[in-house]
Amino acid sequence: MYARYGTDDPVPDRLNLLRRAAGSVRYMALPALGAAVAALISTMSRVAGPIVIREAVDRGIVPQNTSVIANAALVFVAIVVAQYVATRVTLYTVAWMGERFMMDLRNRVFTHVLGMDMAFFGRTKTGVLVARLTSDIESLQVFAAEGAIQVVGSTMMVVGVSVALFVVDPSLATLVMLLMPFLLAISYRFGRDSGRAYRRWRGQVGKVLAALSENISGVREVQANAQEQRQEERFSKIDEEFYKRGMAAAKTIVTYFPGVDFLRAAGLALVLYIGGSRVLDGEMSIGSLIAFLLYLNWFFEPIVQLANVYNLLQGALAALYKLYGLEDEQPAITEAAQTTPLPEQVAGHIRLNRVTFGYEPHEPIIADLNLSITAGQRVAVVGATGSGKTTMVRLIARFYEPQVGAVTLDGIDLRDLSFTDLRRTVAMVPQEGFLFEDSLRFNLSFGQQEMSDHQIWEACRTVGITEWVESLPEGLDTPMRERGNRLSSGERQLVALTRALVVDPAIVILDEATSNLDPETENQVETALETLLAGRTSIVVAHRLQTARRADRVLVMEDGKLVEDGTYQELAARQGPFADLIRTWKTSERRA
Amino acid sequence: MWVGLRLISTGMLRYPRLMVISVLGALCWMAVTVLTPYLQKLVVDDAIEANRRNLLVPLVLTVLLAGAIRAASIAWRRWNAFGLAYRFEVDLRGQIFSAIQKLGFDYHDHASAGELMARASTDLTQVRLVYMMLPITFANIITATMVGVMAFVLDPVMGLLAAFTLPTMMGFAVLYARRTTGISFQVQQILAEMSRMAQEGISGIAVTKAFGQEAREARRAKGVATDIFTKSLSLARFRSIYLPWFELIPTLITLCALWVGGIRVANGDMTIGDLVAFTQYLVILHFPIRMTGWFFAELPRSSAAAARVVELLRAPVSVTAPELPRRLPPGGGEIRFQGVTFAYEDTDVLSGLDLHIPAGSSVALFGATGCGKTTLTQLIPRFYDPQAGIISIDGIDTRQLDLTDLRREVAVAFEEPFLFSATVAENIGFGAPDADLSRIVAAARIADAHEFIQELPYGYETVVGERGLSLSGGQRQRLALARAIVGNPRILILDDATSAVDAITEAHIHAELVENMAGRTTIVIAHRTSTLLLADRIIILEGGKVLAMGEHQELWDNVPRYRQLLAETSPVR
Repeated sequence: MYARYGTDDPVPDRLNLLRRAAGSVRYMALPALGAAVAALISTMSRVAGPIVIREAVDRGIVPQNTSVIANAALVFVAIVVAQYVATRVTLYTVAWMGERFMMDLRNRVFTHVLGMDMAFFGRTKTGVLVARLTSDIESLQVFAAEGAIQVVGSTMMVVGVSVALFVVDPSLATLVMLLMPFLLAISYRFGRDSGRAYRRWRGQVGKVLAALSENISGVREVQANAQEQRQEERFSKIDEEFYKRGMAAAKTIVTYFPGVDFLRAAGLALVLYIGGSRVLDGEMSIGSLIAFLLYLNWFFEPIVQLANVYNLLQGALAALYKLYGLEDEQPAITEAAQTTPLPEQVAGHIRLNRVTFGYEPHEPIIADLNLSITAGQRVAVVGATGSGKTTMVRLIARFYEPQVGAVTLDGIDLRDLSFTDLRRTVAMVPQEGFLFEDSLRFNLSFGQQEMSDHQIWEACRTVGITEWVESLPEGLDTPMRERGNRLSSGERQLVALTRALVVDPAIVILDEATSNLDPETENQVETALETLLAGRTSIVVAHRLQTARRADRVLVMEDGKLVEDGTYQELAARQGPFADLIRTWKTSERRA
Repeated sequence: MWVGLRLISTGMLRYPRLMVISVLGALCWMAVTVLTPYLQKLVVDDAIEANRRNLLVPLVLTVLLAGAIRAASIAWRRWNAFGLAYRFEVDLRGQIFSAIQKLGFDYHDHASAGELMARASTDLTQVRLVYMMLPITFANIITATMVGVMAFVLDPVMGLLAAFTLPTMMGFAVLYARRTTGISFQVQQILAEMSRMAQEGISGIAVTKAFGQEAREARRAKGVATDIFTKSLSLARFRSIYLPWFELIPTLITLCALWVGGIRVANGDMTIGDLVAFTQYLVILHFPIRMTGWFFAELPRSSAAAARVVELLRAPVSVTAPELPRRLPPGGGEIRFQGVTFAYEDTDVLSGLDLHIPAGSSVALFGATGCGKTTLTQLIPRFYDPQAGIISIDGIDTRQLDLTDLRREVAVAFEEPFLFSATVAENIGFGAPDADLSRIVAAARIADAHEFIQELPYGYETVVGERGLSLSGGQRQRLALARAIVGNPRILILDDATSAVDAITEAHIHAELVENMAGRTTIVIAHRTSTLLLADRIIILEGGKVLAMGEHQELWDNVPRYRQLLAETSPVR
């Protein structure tokens, strides 16, 4: 259970955070009220038990009156039933609220993240985002499932038992309360120190796992270099630190729990001495003393429980803080309130009108760019790394928006189009496509919500991958996994191209693959590519000579500017930057 | 299951001192715990009821003393139990680590990294859980038995009550723990699915955006989130039904004791003090019994985890060094394959291959995809052992050599090299811990890596790898190449090791190699034909045998298959 302690630092403004969380669950007010009432009944019936025992002892057992004993037993049964029902209702309702809150939060955050613009994904590390959506939400989940009920139940129990102690014997109760500051002090110290110690321990757990994972991934290098011995020594140092920190964390536990136990014994001795003397003096009944002793046991338990969940609560608050921070980030690219509908038949004429853009507003990558691509034209964009070619095509797909100027499609500003219209018209295809861990069918039909198998097979036939799909163990149902039946680079490209074809876009933007393929697959990919591009406006970020040669028009970019624009033949003959590029390409693609 | 239990029990024997003293601590704790209600009984019966005020103070002081001893013994037991559990975990992880390092390429070809990680993390955590519980469970079982006996001594009728309630409580606790762990396991699985979805959703965001499918992805995630909700709620329902019983059981026991005991006290068959003590015993035992139930419910899972660990520790290592290895005499790295046959499970790769690579030569392996080029090179440093035949270096069978010696003399640069999360210098010097910076720089220069390394933020001290700066494929390959040559091996194998480096740089690297690796043997595998020409000689592999060997021109003129292969690998661009 200790492994679940939060790893995060305390949160600045807790009150505000809780207020916001409470605001988002206002619709749960009724169940919350129900849970509170049930918890109250549950606590009260538990606390009532020893009082009944006192009555039984004083009026039944001591005067030897069996009928009172029987009556007391019956009352006890009633209390037990009430306690069971109330506890059950509390447990379930609190769990329901917690889980419901979690589900809503998950959906809200996930949807929110998906709606963020690409610039957001560019500046936020994948690891951080994944941590928000997984470990942060899970630490909240743990609190919702186990911590929340403890906080509610234990707090009520402390209050209930304290009240009961005063009801049974006020002066003895005051005496017991003298122990309270000690108990609170060590509980607070435990909560704080163990939290810190376990954070350090968990940090080391992460290091152990990272070291281990690295050695598994690099096991071939280790063996090839005969470094097994040295790596083992290194690892054992890291693991030894894990042991040390584990024991340091254990120390907090080893001092706290016995400490509480001793306080309990001190309380017991106190009550026995003072209470005993008072019974002897005839100031207190023996039944009251017994009831008091029973309550004393219950008094310590909930405080220990609270100290235990303190860290869970802190971790949950830290997670909530970060999740709300994520929710507060607004996407820079949103759908216009008033969109201009696109006609059914799109020509595919693209214009960049004095476009300026930079990922950092004051460092333009593209400055004052003008460009017009007529419908049906096949354009290859070439240029060195960092010349702005990828940025330009991203602007055409509206992954980013220009800071100055406009991008238009058939004369309509992209910003005036609905997302649906834009996406069905402009397909951005990274040729080395990403595969979702789902069936091949899901991956092929990704862009088109509802597609019959017939339509999917039709697309496969067009692209020429029918045979390949049929050769897979489960055809269209074959699961695409990261591990296991991993697809080759060429096969992934074929899936990516088919996926784009399925949408039947008017404009295709393709980021050409750079990897080398074996000759047979290469031919297949070429054919698929030709099929996809035929009859559409296309803009290809080209990495290969061949691709540029096949285009109707070549754009050469340098430092965010268009330096050359023309057909392959024209540019090749001109002895400009493109001719230089051709020469470099030729040397690097030189074959024997 | 039994294998796992055996591992768990051998662990106990391995640290007898820790085990014994923590069990003793637990027993001491329990003894005092059991004694405390008896002391309370003495206070109530002998001091208060009997009206002997002089006994009150000594008895109360005894209660306080008992409390102090109890606290000390808890601390003692817990501290040693933690020590035992963590020590055992660290020891086992060390063994797992060493097993993983020793298991050969054949094992790792099939093993999943995630599975191996699970052995050393979640499985060990599961084993540790049981270990933490071991001492106290021993003590709990002994105590429960003792309390049963004590109850009989106090009052036989109440003893019968204890004999009935204690096993019932135990059974209930086991049942509950077993069922909940089952359902929580399901919840864990869906949570893992959610993590996967999140990871995928973010890695694939560009595709999702490109096709405008954000809503669909959100719906997919929503499905999983709803699943988590329903599964968690069914766990909550289960808990809400059974958990109140744990609170009620002590109350019910008190009720029973009150009813039965009250009547017996009323009839004068037992004292009030006895009744108080007895009730306290049963209540005190409630928590230990619940814990013991939890222990027995966890035990099957822990022993299953331990069994998986044992399986890994016992996995046979296919390539081992001889007991009395021979030393490699000085030489230039002459390699000889005699009748070498090798197959991966059912796929034959090499069948009776004979090959002689003279010392100091540079050869290129060439052939269609899957003809066994990589396999052939990996047999030399014994990454795999052939099923038949002998491979010798400078006249000595590689199986007679010490593995460390052999692998220091045969260096391999892989196509997809792995960089450790360490500095550039440490990565290059990985195989040669004694290499100083000047040697590392020299190697980097040969691999044409020195220039780009100097441009890195901290030069040779820049941390790379997973947790460091990410380098391009070509840069990684050049570091790996430097790593291979820094140890001054007598045989250098480049397994498509410059595929991501452009052709001009590649030619440059090879020129450097020729100059600096003189007198050493170099074996090159390449897809790019230009790379082939950099070697003195070309070996054509086909059908698991050497088809031909010679210089490019020679082969071009005499071997039609060579021309055919070349044409296939060079599509007209």
